[in-house]
Amino acid sequence: MAAIQVNHLSKSYGSFQAVDDISFEVEAGTVFALLGRNGAGKTTTIELLTGFQKPDSGSVRVLGLDPIRDRAQVRGNVGIMLQEAGFFPDLTAGQTVEIWRDFTPAARPASEALELAGLTAKAKTKVRQLSGGEKRRLDLALALLGRPDVLFLDEPTTGMDPEARRNIWEVVRDLAARSTTVLLTTHYLEEAQQLATNLAIMDRGQIVVGGDMAETLAARVGRVSFELPSVIQPGELPLPATMRGRLAMVQAADPDLAAQTLLGWASERGLRLRGLEVRTASLEDLFLELAQNGEMAQNGTTDRGDHP
Amino acid sequence: MSLTATYKLSARLFWRDKGTLPASVITPLGLAIGMPTLMRNVTAGGVTAAAQMFVGTLALILSGTAFLNITVALTMRRDQLLLKRLRATRLTNRQILLGEVANTVTQTVILMIVSAVAVHLLADVPLPRNPVLFAVFAVAGSAVMATLGVAWTAAIPRGELAAPMTLPFFFLAGLASGAMGSIVDLLPPWLHPFLAALPTSAVVDAVRASYGPGTFGSDLAAAAVPALVLAAWAGVALLSIRRWFRWESRKS
Ligand SMILES: Nc1ncnc2c1ncn2[C@@H]1O[C@H](COP(=O)(O)OP(=O)(O)OP(=O)(O)O)[C@@H](O)[C@H]1O
Ligand SMILES: [Mg+2]
Repeated sequence: MAAIQVNHLSKSYGSFQAVDDISFEVEAGTVFALLGRNGAGKTTTIELLTGFQKPDSGSVRVLGLDPIRDRAQVRGNVGIMLQEAGFFPDLTAGQTVEIWRDFTPAARPASEALELAGLTAKAKTKVRQLSGGEKRRLDLALALLGRPDVLFLDEPTTGMDPEARRNIWEVVRDLAARSTTVLLTTHYLEEAQQLATNLAIMDRGQIVVGGDMAETLAARVGRVSFELPSVIQPGELPLPATMRGRLAMVQAADPDLAAQTLLGWASERGLRLRGLEVRTASLEDLFLELAQNGEMAQNGTTDRGDHP
Repeated sequence: MSLTATYKLSARLFWRDKGTLPASVITPLGLAIGMPTLMRNVTAGGVTAAAQMFVGTLALILSGTAFLNITVALTMRRDQLLLKRLRATRLTNRQILLGEVANTVTQTVILMIVSAVAVHLLADVPLPRNPVLFAVFAVAGSAVMATLGVAWTAAIPRGELAAPMTLPFFFLAGLASGAMGSIVDLLPPWLHPFLAALPTSAVVDAVRASYGPGTFGSDLAAAAVPALVLAAWAGVALLSIRRWFRWESRKS
């Protein structure tokens, strides 16, 4: 049975449809990334999955339970890192974890939770003195306290430095390897690509792309980019290219082959292709492509609902 | 187990919150001890006037330490998304609110006892003749006031408005119970039944009986109406909490 099941879920705020008839499942022990631009409905979805909000229609099951009706039972098995929540500013990080342990049956030792989140050195620092990224880590420490079977992470690494981010990835991978189910949202597409085996991209409350990460990317094109030599017009290239300034971009299902073709063509003419880059499809390309094809409405051009 | 955890947390935060201690502890306690002591020394009727006033000032402790304090603490925690964070844990809604109420009751009852002992030592006000009656109404009164405070948060849009929107009740309660002296006699008579129906007035009436002369039977009789008044307010509070309580600030 899937650890998380979402069935035709909808939620509106007044006349604004924040989540619009979405369905997906997350298999136990896998990492699922929920992606999309600001306001796409990711946090609302997480709040519906964790029972903070009540769906207008559709259903949610976490470990087979209804997060609102069976709240106590669900809470006992999930860890939640909200996008936004407060701390008691005058308590230290260590005291905060200790107090949260009182709320959590069979909690990890405080030192272990702090260690996992990379916060050991700050245990005696008051929360009000923690940096943004450190607060985020404290958030993670609290979410991990109860050794949850399912972990909800809403933008877990926002504000973290690259090293901290990588450490958190390590922790998430490790948990997933020990059969924790993870559902995360992020704006760092590399993060999603690194961690998730499945994904859903939301736009305006709907899922526009979803499925297995590798398959989704394989179905998309990679690209080759290079500086166009000054003596060449774009039309002369052996493959169709789009220009961004002096940068020529060639999209191809097999970008390696495209690069070979281009290099062969250039050497026949004694030209160099400066700044050559070959990239297989990345989530970022997928995002850009979705935006270009209008699968995701451009910012500002469509405005539905009457929210401020 | 988790109720004790939220209780402990609330207690810890109560004494750390330097911002609200003046309104929740220092002012009510100062008035409840200071005014009767002053009475004792400046008026001819001395001890009687002091005792009279002291019982009235308990309304200030009830409305400051119980009602105002819990209202301010909960709205602040709501605005800072701390209630939301607590709700991300195993804790149930009931445990979160009950922990807060239980802590408020503890602090309020402690202050009532401290001030009763203090005016006994400083102003020769006798200790209550029936301490059980005193204690029962101290606990029940604080619990009802704290629960009303929880309910009142629903009417408060933002944390900064919690104190200004709650202070009027502090004065009203003090006025109604005679803590402000006899200004109450200057008010139009039709107001008196309303003032007497305040939960603080009910507690003050019962506590007055615990100080005055009487028997077990007369104490029971004196407690009946105040008990009913408190029960009615408790019902109002619980229903409004069920209907209107918000865990997160209005997002619009
Ligand atoms: N309480 C509310 N009342 C009205 N509108 C709301 C409310 N909460 C969220 N919204 C709207 O719903 C939409 C989705 O919000 P949500 O927080 O789910 O987005 P998100 O995908 O998490 O965005 P981000 O990446 O910025 O965190 C937004 O346009 C937001 O303005
Ligand atoms: Mg969000």
